[in-house]
Amino acid sequence: MTTLPVRPPLARSSDRVIAGVCSGLAAHLGWPVRNVRLAMVLAAFAGGAGLVFYAWLWIMVPTADEAARRSARRPASPIAPAVSQPGQGQAVQAPSPQRTAPDAGTAAGGNGKAPDGEAAPPPWFRAGGMRYGKEILLGCGLLLVAGIMVAQMLGVDVSLGTLIPAAAVLSGASIAWMQLDETRRAGLVDKTKADQAGGWGRLAAGLALVVAGVLVMVSGSGSWEQTWLALLASVAVLGGVVLVLLPWALKFWRDLEAERSGRIRETERAEIAAHLHDSVLQTLALIQRRAGNEHDVVRLARAQERELRGWLFQDPGRESGQLSARVKAAAAEVEDLLGNAVEVVTVGDAAMTEANEALVQAAREAMLNASRHGGGTVSVYLEASDGQTEIFIKDRGPGFELGEVPADRLGVRESIIGRMKRHGGSAAILSTADGTEVRLRLPAAAEHWEGKT
Amino acid sequence: MNMTQGTGPGSTRPASSVRVVIVDDHAIFRSGLKADLDASIHVVGEAATVEQAIAVIAGQRPDVVLLDVHLPGGLGGGGREVIAGSAALLSTTRFLALSVSDAAEDVVAVIRAGARGYVTKTISGAEITDAVHRVAGGDAVFSPRLAGFVLDAFGTAPADIADDELDKLSARELEVMRLIARGYSYKEVAKELFISIKTVETHVSAVLRKLQLSSRHELTKWAAERRLL
Repeated sequence: MTTLPVRPPLARSSDRVIAGVCSGLAAHLGWPVRNVRLAMVLAAFAGGAGLVFYAWLWIMVPTADEAARRSARRPASPIAPAVSQPGQGQAVQAPSPQRTAPDAGTAAGGNGKAPDGEAAPPPWFRAGGMRYGKEILLGCGLLLVAGIMVAQMLGVDVSLGTLIPAAAVLSGASIAWMQLDETRRAGLVDKTKADQAGGWGRLAAGLALVVAGVLVMVSGSGSWEQTWLALLASVAVLGGVVLVLLPWALKFWRDLEAERSGRIRETERAEIAAHLHDSVLQTLALIQRRAGNEHDVVRLARAQERELRGWLFQDPGRESGQLSARVKAAAAEVEDLLGNAVEVVTVGDAAMTEANEALVQAAREAMLNASRHGGGTVSVYLEASDGQTEIFIKDRGPGFELGEVPADRLGVRESIIGRMKRHGGSAAILSTADGTEVRLRLPAAAEHWEGKT
Repeated sequence: MNMTQGTGPGSTRPASSVRVVIVDDHAIFRSGLKADLDASIHVVGEAATVEQAIAVIAGQRPDVVLLDVHLPGGLGGGGREVIAGSAALLSTTRFLALSVSDAAEDVVAVIRAGARGYVTKTISGAEITDAVHRVAGGDAVFSPRLAGFVLDAFGTAPADIADDELDKLSARELEVMRLIARGYSYKEVAKELFISIKTVETHVSAVLRKLQLSSRHELTKWAAERRLL
């Protein structure tokens, strides 16, 4: 019997009527869910064996979420959720195992919630704590059953009048506890997600059952008048207690919130400090050591400036995969490689296509040439409009004679002019004594043509 | 749009000395800049905050103020606030914005407040000296990046005749802005377009005026949306 909880594929499914035990079991055994449920109901009438078995599984078997999270710590995790729920008729397996189960839960019982929010407590801690609690609970339950049995064997008549209210209390508590299942608990704490009608309905039903059970047990054979009086008194006492405790609870909640936001701020600060330490401080140390070499110092400072700028001002609204970002990245690469500053100015932007990729590659080649032969700051200007995309790369070097180095010219011709032509664009190189400018042009029509083929 | 006064602008820069006030909250940067500027420029005052800057500018009445976009003090408006506080002197004192931030929002704000140009703090001493002389001569100084901002804000399509002239750039102004964005100096722009340097300066000044006076609400919106380029 104790082997049950250590079998990993057995997990309580989120496709549930009560606690997902039957469908989880069906998935585990490869049987139809309906048969398992029927068997469980039949067994329940056989002296309550089914009920005990069900409760046992409920307590001992983790939910699919929990199982997935537990196995996620092990490297071979992606298979586990697929193994644990193959019979659910889920044609599409969601890519993330953590997302699969709650989605199904939403469809089944209206009580699904995003599991992402509950990543805060370490799962091992949680799972460990729950395990312990479950064993105690199980022990108590078994002791209770044993006690009842022993009492009956000793001839004590266990009256239905006591058992029924007790059962009502237990089932009410169970229904309420379903809310507090592993996946629900974080949701209840996170109040924005707790206000789902189904969840509140269950909670209310559970509470009503418990209250009714307690009332019947307490009032026993007493008259209705007494019961009403007792009810009134209890409600009055409860109200008073709530009135007294509410300010404390609110204060506690606010303290908790304040502490949490404080912790978030602290984390942010630590992240910034860590980043500055890893980047700026290291670069400053390097600069101090290379103080004699002006070229190195400038290169280090430029690279660090670029990095810090990117980190500080990165606009999350702008996509990083756009053409302008690619051109800037190419410029940064050239800058790091050869040490000369490459200033990029962009006007407009375009999505990346195959033709635009060629444009970026040609521009990169031109930047490398400009930086290598120009020897000074390289100016890059990108203008993307509806009709066409243009990139200009300008340096202030001595300029190169077209017939100077045949091999180099071939490289320029192949990787700049040839590449642009192959993608429906054009390239022109203008070299004077004041510097060289490479002009790359790509009509939008060429992109479309490229995209269709 | 001829803004010359006394010595003419154009290719021959006036060799007469220009009185300059440097406004920047970093003492290291101020002293570095002072050392970088050439002998034709006299630094007559320095300031580190908005209040100091307004006081020093009013007291010294310099030809040019080198103004950092980001400054402590005042109401938090930085360089823009300094220009607003010195509005009475705007006809004799020119402001050249210096920035390290590159944020279009900041740069456009300070230009619209009345600065005659914008350069990045990383440019060389010779370039900044040249820019100071240019601004002192009444011209506008556009870095490639500022030209890029202008093109982005006004759009790259030339103005129709029906359009409000302040809201669009003419075809010629667009050409000039494009070349500046490509890294061309005024001289190179003039050569490329077969016009005189003076004409280039006139076009740039016209663009600056449009940038300052255009009521295009898109301009401010655009600058606010575009935190960085």
